[in-house]
Amino acid sequence: MTSARWPLLAIPAALLLAVIYVWPSLDLFRTAFNETGATGAMIEAFSLKVWRDLLADPFTYELTVNSLWLSVTATSIALCVAYPIALFLFRTDTRFRGLLAVMAIMPMLVSGVVRIFGWLTILGDQGMVNSAARWLGLISTPMRLLFNWTGVTIGLAESILPYMILALLAGFGRLDRALEEAARSLGASPLRTFVRVTLPLSLPAIVLAAGLGFVLSMSAYITPKLLGGGRVFVLATEIFEQATTNANWPMASAMALYTLVLMLAFLGLSSVLSRRLAQ
Amino acid sequence: MLRRRQFLQLGGAMLAMPSLARAQAPRGQITLMAYTGIFQDNYMATVVEPFQKAFPDIKVNYAPGGTSAAMLGNIRAQKADPQVDVVIMDVTTSSIGNAEGLFDKITPTEAPSLNELYSEARAVGGDFGPAVTYDHLVIIYDTQTVKPPLAKLADLWREDLKGFLSISAPPNIQGLALTCMVEKMEGGDHRSSINKAVKKLRELSPGVKTFEPNPDGATLLLNGVVKVATGWNARSQLYHDESKGRIGVLLPPEGSVFQINTINLTAGSKNKAAAAAFVNYALSQAAQKAFTERLYYAPTNAKAQIEPKALARTAATPETRARMIPVDWMEIVKIRDQWNNRWRREIIAAN
Repeated sequence: MTSARWPLLAIPAALLLAVIYVWPSLDLFRTAFNETGATGAMIEAFSLKVWRDLLADPFTYELTVNSLWLSVTATSIALCVAYPIALFLFRTDTRFRGLLAVMAIMPMLVSGVVRIFGWLTILGDQGMVNSAARWLGLISTPMRLLFNWTGVTIGLAESILPYMILALLAGFGRLDRALEEAARSLGASPLRTFVRVTLPLSLPAIVLAAGLGFVLSMSAYITPKLLGGGRVFVLATEIFEQATTNANWPMASAMALYTLVLMLAFLGLSSVLSRRLAQ
Repeated sequence: MLRRRQFLQLGGAMLAMPSLARAQAPRGQITLMAYTGIFQDNYMATVVEPFQKAFPDIKVNYAPGGTSAAMLGNIRAQKADPQVDVVIMDVTTSSIGNAEGLFDKITPTEAPSLNELYSEARAVGGDFGPAVTYDHLVIIYDTQTVKPPLAKLADLWREDLKGFLSISAPPNIQGLALTCMVEKMEGGDHRSSINKAVKKLRELSPGVKTFEPNPDGATLLLNGVVKVATGWNARSQLYHDESKGRIGVLLPPEGSVFQINTINLTAGSKNKAAAAAFVNYALSQAAQKAFTERLYYAPTNAKAQIEPKALARTAATPETRARMIPVDWMEIVKIRDQWNNRWRREIIAAN
């Protein structure tokens, strides 16, 4: 096949994308300009009323800050855990490397809901954490680890962890062991070698993984919904409430587009940063 | 005097009458969309299957629809080519469907059972689908750990229950109903203000373990996560039986609020005659009696003769009906966002 015909191979994927993503997105865009009547009925229109209501409501900004804060916190925690695991998997010569990699990403094979119920068992009043703390004499009454921000942050960090490990592994391409060996042979301590050589070389991978973790956290719905106990309000849960409890599709659509713009802005920023670091 | 030819024609017509009647009787398939889980199981057994026996030419496909808003979403998406003929959903959502032209009006000619309904059950949908079941908000509790047992709504504020409460907050309609109940308990009226309810619920908030029980309050209660939860009566009565009395059900003496499900004919149904026949049957005395006695939803057919034992577990007795707080759900829907915001900012945030 000549090189000019290669793009033809992308046609099936482009068509699929058009059907399952572009068309519904256009529909979503159109719905965001409808209106909602006083009793909740959707009125066909081309109006900015819903957008005015959305942008004039201080709760929208509270939701935005909540979503950003949750995403940054969960991504940071997950990154701290994922980085050493990914680095170990990248460096190890053991013949069990494949098995270890599968184990690291195994949580992806389990349904998100099932994982959440696992956390309910671990973080509950009678759960493993509280029982261990009580047994060690650290606490007398159970710590509140569930149905609040703490539980959601822990659950979300765990749920994005496998994706971040994969992203880090994919981004470690420039991590050359010879450079680290050179630093060590010139007298740098292991810590200094890590800080001055390994970490800077893996910064593009970190930015890539952090971007992925951030976007996954921003759009996460199950974890805040099930572990938040109705106390954690983020954009994703509010979109769901508007669409499936209030049947207010115009507001849900406008919020979804608002969130999409936020995420695209962040992805753009992350992409620019990643390119600069790679140069 | 009849001639021989006329006599033969008349005789032939009389012989053909049953098959003509059958040809005119509704037949074919219809799809009913309603709640899933125990509602589906029990509605199939007490209403759908007996209907199919009475109308052997009609097959009813039950499409489990999730929440009322999710069902409305399905009906909206199928507006151009409806796949569902009859829908049972909460009145706050069916009123949206009525306004959007998703449902058809129903007349007593199509469904004579409409004439047997309580006047408020007929009025709730206007000319559209009427109320098919009544339910009401109750407080459920773990009879093994809550001592003394709950006796009134005000007991939710008991010191020993702090940290063990599951309260469904708005926009869930349980939260809206609870707001009306607490306002009344505090001597107010939700139609003018909910300030008293907000103040009182704010005091309760730090003791609430979750404002969003998943999958529901009864499950959290049976798992020992909470000791007290809000719930709907019908399901709670069934959980009471299934848990062999571990789950206690309290209709607060301070009063409760009716939740209303309506039955609706989808506009553009491909088999409207069969759909109307099903609506008529679902509203009939026999179906209402069977479903109430199985799942404890209060009937909307005033002539349904319900077993006293089952009736006592619904809010259909004259004594309990008198305790119900009158709530116009159409008015609540208009101010739902305001109440929702007050819950988020003044009640849930008070931790």
